[in-house]
Amino acid sequence: MIPQKKASGLLGWFYARYPWQEFMQNHLSGYFAPRNFNFWYYFGSFSLLVLVSQIISGIWLTMEYIPVSEGAFASVQHIMREVRFGWLIRFMHTTGASAFFVVVYLHMYRGLIYGSYQKPRELLWLVGMFIYLCLLLEAFTGYVLPWGQMSFWAAEVITSFASAIPYVGKLIMVWLRGDYNVSGVTLHRFFALHVIFFPLLIVGIVFVHLVALHKVGSNNPDGVEIKEHKKEGMPVDGIPFHPYYTVKDIFGIMVFLLVFCTVMFFAPKFGGLFLEQENYLLANPLQTPEHITPAWYMTPFYAILRAVPNKLLGVIAMAAAIAFMFVLPWLDRSKVRSIRYKGLWSKIAIAGFTICFIGLGYLGHEPVSPLYTFLARFFSVGYFAFFVLMPFYTAKEKTYPVPERLT
Amino acid sequence: MKRYLLILLAFLVFPCLAIAEEEVKIALSDVTVNTDDLESIKRGAKFFATTCMSCHTMVYLRYDKLAQEAGVSYDRMPVNVKNWPNGITPPDLSLEVDVRGADWIYTYLHSFYQDTKRPMGVNNLLVPNTAMPGIITAFQGTQVKIEGQPPTALFHSLHWYDLLVLQKQGSLTPDQFDATITDLINFLSYAAHPYQAEQHALGWWVLSFLLVLVVLSYFLKKEYWKDVKRK
Repeated sequence: MIPQKKASGLLGWFYARYPWQEFMQNHLSGYFAPRNFNFWYYFGSFSLLVLVSQIISGIWLTMEYIPVSEGAFASVQHIMREVRFGWLIRFMHTTGASAFFVVVYLHMYRGLIYGSYQKPRELLWLVGMFIYLCLLLEAFTGYVLPWGQMSFWAAEVITSFASAIPYVGKLIMVWLRGDYNVSGVTLHRFFALHVIFFPLLIVGIVFVHLVALHKVGSNNPDGVEIKEHKKEGMPVDGIPFHPYYTVKDIFGIMVFLLVFCTVMFFAPKFGGLFLEQENYLLANPLQTPEHITPAWYMTPFYAILRAVPNKLLGVIAMAAAIAFMFVLPWLDRSKVRSIRYKGLWSKIAIAGFTICFIGLGYLGHEPVSPLYTFLARFFSVGYFAFFVLMPFYTAKEKTYPVPERLT
Repeated sequence: MKRYLLILLAFLVFPCLAIAEEEVKIALSDVTVNTDDLESIKRGAKFFATTCMSCHTMVYLRYDKLAQEAGVSYDRMPVNVKNWPNGITPPDLSLEVDVRGADWIYTYLHSFYQDTKRPMGVNNLLVPNTAMPGIITAFQGTQVKIEGQPPTALFHSLHWYDLLVLQKQGSLTPDQFDATITDLINFLSYAAHPYQAEQHALGWWVLSFLLVLVVLSYFLKKEYWKDVKRK
């Protein structure tokens, strides 16, 4: 234990009444993290940064945005043109939405390759998956708010998934929309969900995610438990999070911001991926756009949905694609954590999964064609095979010897 | 069955697009947009106010002043017109550059041609049977479709100038016309993103500042991490 500084005066009064020093000690300067974090370990702190940036820019957008169907689209243009730095706040939010998914996907991928979901971190992974699920819903409800053509039709298509449920599907769909079609009522309730319900939930679960992390400690690229080798009560391969990882993350955040700001200031549309061309048109219930596509971060699941010829089965497949990620900790039966020491089969499986996921993401964004439908089916099979076959190839394959301590 | 339903839907919802599918698809011409060229934007604004604004609105740009200077009185402004021919309201052009793209507008405005079968006497290659009258022909002149088989295009789509020939020049020479349309598009880009000049200027400051911080934080990290090694 690092001795606490004695403080007198106002600070002493405060410390006597609030566990500030204990908190700093337990979670920063006395919290040990493995010393070999690499590039992949930045994305957790980036996610936290983007979450804060989304909340701040979101509050300012809410001050000028009008959540009714007659005024929503025009109020966005009002923000862009008449509000001082309104364009900056909005681009911060739109670029932030996509950046959030970029960093969260990379954060999840890190967990996947280094086996960070394995015992004792199953709960940590599970909580993280709940954050991801909320994030998808938060992004979807937010996507509807500008009330452009794609906002409207994406809402129409995605809420219609509910109608695939037998017997009560139609009822649920109407309940979700608050109307027989997507309308101003839908917009208004999605606004409520987007600015209060999901953000509150996400902040809450993120807190639980961090609490769970600090109970079990971080994994690392070697997948070796640092707590097993201690000297004077402190892990020999661990370093205090503060100051070592705080300064490292500050450097990482500066690089991240450099990339983020380049996009935000010079290419906020990102070639139509972050802000779609179709969404510059006011929502029109009487005119269906030629191609309806969800935002890029949902396209892998949309591709799986379209690959299945039956609507109900398609929706089930799409839900299963996300559900399989939840149960990942119980599918991996390998003796080792990190991809570094796993066998050939695991390496092939992860490489194949990566190709399938990116391939599905691309296909979900493109119009349907016979070749693309075939490819989407091929990749969907690959996607599910990765999870379904995992208990077999991880248990059977020959792994490499894991070092005693970090390399 | 599903396929027929889709086709039916396409015919119901998109009459114009369904027709477009049957016609020859033409390639879009490239136009270089320069939103830093203020003089060009001003010329484009003048052209817009005197030509386009008799029909098209631009609701998200404050354009009252522009309209006044061009002599468009408030009650004659397109936003107040209720009865358009055939019930087709000319689209608002505030965000047209984002909706269609600069190349699309440039090509569209170049590819009007004489067609006596149409009520207005003009047709368009990019948007067949367009509802827009040939306002632009007063400047460009009268174009007609080249007789007979169109030239073969194996590895590329045809451009508008492969299919149309200028029969009678309008008030502008072809070069002047190209320049005028480019000015107009520069103005339309400005109208779609009036904040862009500020956005880019601020962007360079922010990026330079961050670059300094990247360097400083790198050395700070290096300094702290000197004592981290395998024990």
